[in-house]
Amino acid sequence: MANRTRTFGGWAITVVLAVVVVVGLIMGDSAAEDRVNALGSRIKCPVCQGEAIGDSPSETSAAMMEIVKEKVSAGETDAQIIDFFTARYGSGILLDPPFSGSTLLVWLLPALAVVGGIWMILSRRRQPMKTETEHD
Amino acid sequence: MTATVGYLAILVAALSSVGIIIQGFRGMRNPELARAEKLQWPIYGMVGGALLAMIALEVGILTDDFSIAYIANNSATTTPFIFKVSSAWAALEGSIILWGLVLAVFVYTVYRGFSKRSEPDRLGAGALAVMGIVALYFFVLMATVSNPFAVCVQPASIGCLEATHWPWADSLAALEGRGPNPLLQNHILMAVHPPMLYVGYVGMTVPFAFAMAALMLGASGTEWLRRTRTWTLIAWGFLTAGIVLGGLWSYEVLGWGGYWAWDPVENASFMPWLIATAFLHSSVVQERRGMLQAWNFVLVIATFAMTILGTFLTRSGVITSVHSFTQSPVGPVLLWFLMVVLVASFGLFAARAHLVASSPRLDSLASREGVFLLNNLLLTVFAFVVLTGTLYPMFVDAFSGSQVGVGRPFFDRMAVPLAFGLLLAMGIGPITPYRSAKPEVVWKRIKTPLRVALGAAALAVILGYRTPWLVLFILASFFVMSVIIRNLFVTSQTVAEKRGMSLPSAALRTMRNDTGYWGGQISHLGVAILALGIAVSANLSVEADITLTPGSTATVAGFDITYVSPFSRQEPTRSVSGAQVEVARNGKVVSELEPRLNQYPTSTQSVATPEVDASWSGDLYLSLKSIDAQQVTLGVFWFPLIWLVWVGGFMAASAVLWSRLVKKPTDDRSTEASASRDG
Repeated sequence: MANRTRTFGGWAITVVLAVVVVVGLIMGDSAAEDRVNALGSRIKCPVCQGEAIGDSPSETSAAMMEIVKEKVSAGETDAQIIDFFTARYGSGILLDPPFSGSTLLVWLLPALAVVGGIWMILSRRRQPMKTETEHD
Repeated sequence: MTATVGYLAILVAALSSVGIIIQGFRGMRNPELARAEKLQWPIYGMVGGALLAMIALEVGILTDDFSIAYIANNSATTTPFIFKVSSAWAALEGSIILWGLVLAVFVYTVYRGFSKRSEPDRLGAGALAVMGIVALYFFVLMATVSNPFAVCVQPASIGCLEATHWPWADSLAALEGRGPNPLLQNHILMAVHPPMLYVGYVGMTVPFAFAMAALMLGASGTEWLRRTRTWTLIAWGFLTAGIVLGGLWSYEVLGWGGYWAWDPVENASFMPWLIATAFLHSSVVQERRGMLQAWNFVLVIATFAMTILGTFLTRSGVITSVHSFTQSPVGPVLLWFLMVVLVASFGLFAARAHLVASSPRLDSLASREGVFLLNNLLLTVFAFVVLTGTLYPMFVDAFSGSQVGVGRPFFDRMAVPLAFGLLLAMGIGPITPYRSAKPEVVWKRIKTPLRVALGAAALAVILGYRTPWLVLFILASFFVMSVIIRNLFVTSQTVAEKRGMSLPSAALRTMRNDTGYWGGQISHLGVAILALGIAVSANLSVEADITLTPGSTATVAGFDITYVSPFSRQEPTRSVSGAQVEVARNGKVVSELEPRLNQYPTSTQSVATPEVDASWSGDLYLSLKSIDAQQVTLGVFWFPLIWLVWVGGFMAASAVLWSRLVKKPTDDRSTEASASRDG
């Protein structure tokens, strides 16, 4: 009897903890995101080597970050701000490749790799009909 | 003189490599010839040549011999001793000498093992021949397009403008050298980080060479795996430590407030690490269950190819600017070598795989093997993602001429779920038995760790940390840690009862009994701590730029930051200007920091040195963005618990020491070893 109570208690604790975690995940506070820094990490500094304007110490980056700040406080959307920079510098300015056009493939290739890998693993499974001698 | 000695030493090493190739292949074909004395002199010649070349370069640097172009362009009379020594590998030509020397040392250790065997060792002879080919390539590279001993024929006022390959040409020396790149002489870590990476990169040649020899001989089985395990682990440990040190250097020196930017050069070291990690795991499956034989060949070839690709990416300049491709003579040569390696080794694999790979199939996906496969899938996909992301802009530019960028946001978005999956596999793996897992067995082992992990995640939620990925990573990393600790506890308890020992000594005994397994578990513990550190410090960091006049204060993340005064001072090798900053918390001064900018005489750019107030709760990180007479602009970062990243990273790397150096208890009984694996 005591044993059963313990098992039940263990289950109850597990379930309660899991509920707390799941509720926390659903209520997740992604709203408080810092838009200026998020945009700063998506735009490449045009005079540096592959650094984002949010990370680079150069003056050009600082000036571009100012523009981002102004536009965010003026209420422009992320897409508008990104469009503003790609219109001026070309799509090469983005560190975050769009899910379209010439950068579609960079998103699709990993997905293809996952599918190919899963297929390879499944095809390596023992066929239920065939029996093989095994040597360990 | 120094140049002549160094150049001749390279030639000796190159000729000796030819000797190793010939004698190695003869020994592989004919067991009569697979004897140590046949290979002795070529081996000594290569190690001696590589060592002498390295010494010649160091002597040249320490005596300020600016008639050698490399020294004139990478060292200066004012360079401090330690950075003079490290400037021998700070640029391309010198780094290839170090590469050759490390390879020579690996060849020598393989040769030592070869010479100690009583029976003819055809596999070892073949592996030495393959290593000889790789060595020959690098020594010929040094003797031709990337000659570190090219002498200067047209000096500039500082450094050298034009050099000739002939070391005996009439040379002209500049009065002063250019000195190392300021970024490279700004921090001591730069002296140790590259050699560690090289040991990691070059060490991967050993398993590759044994794999090639096994293919040529058609030798199936696990001999090549067992015999290269130590080298693979050493290389992996150094590669891991090198990457972590690189992150630490980036954090301490670059001042942008991070340690990993998915820069192509960082990716170049991360790709071979991912594949090598996959190989370490899949080789366990082959040794334990005889599975994945062909796959292990693929992985070891890919690891080696990735190290060459990494060298190519970092050294040819294709990545930072696609158009400098033709200007760098080493780039195309490395690319050709990569092609030859890929075609030759995969060709050999395709022709011979049927002889060496007849693996039994998988019984059930719900088994230890199944989790290992999941691990391999995730690691190779991860490597593939990094590879595509790194090369994609280059290919788009080459084929369509348009510029696209693939940077940190892309890699972060891909890496986070992959890393999460890897953590889950790391937690589930050790509680899943081989062959086929019964649900009730798994549940018995999983329930306590699951409760601990859920408890930690629930605590985070209750305390108000609700960013989804943060909660998930807390859950996963606590799960991994508690699985390992539970396994150790349960096994030690059995050992303690059976032998009447105290629990701690039983635990130590368990871990010493199967050092390979427990070394891996220590490494996993390190990776879980690292992941927790990354998740917490990245998700809960606070970042702000503040501009202050002397005497004024701003508050960031609960710290009151007061700009006291500017300062400047002249040091022997650089001039330093910075800001004195006082940091207070709740009215109490906690630290005084001096973020600064260093100006080196041989360079126009100034280098920022951030200052960090490290504590158990986290790092307050100040970097100086600009300073003038009126005001100062500071980048202020608060990184909670970031020390977990460094502790976890070095723990993962140094776990290799446990698995290779710790001795078994003398009265070992193998039953306990296998008990700890399956328990």
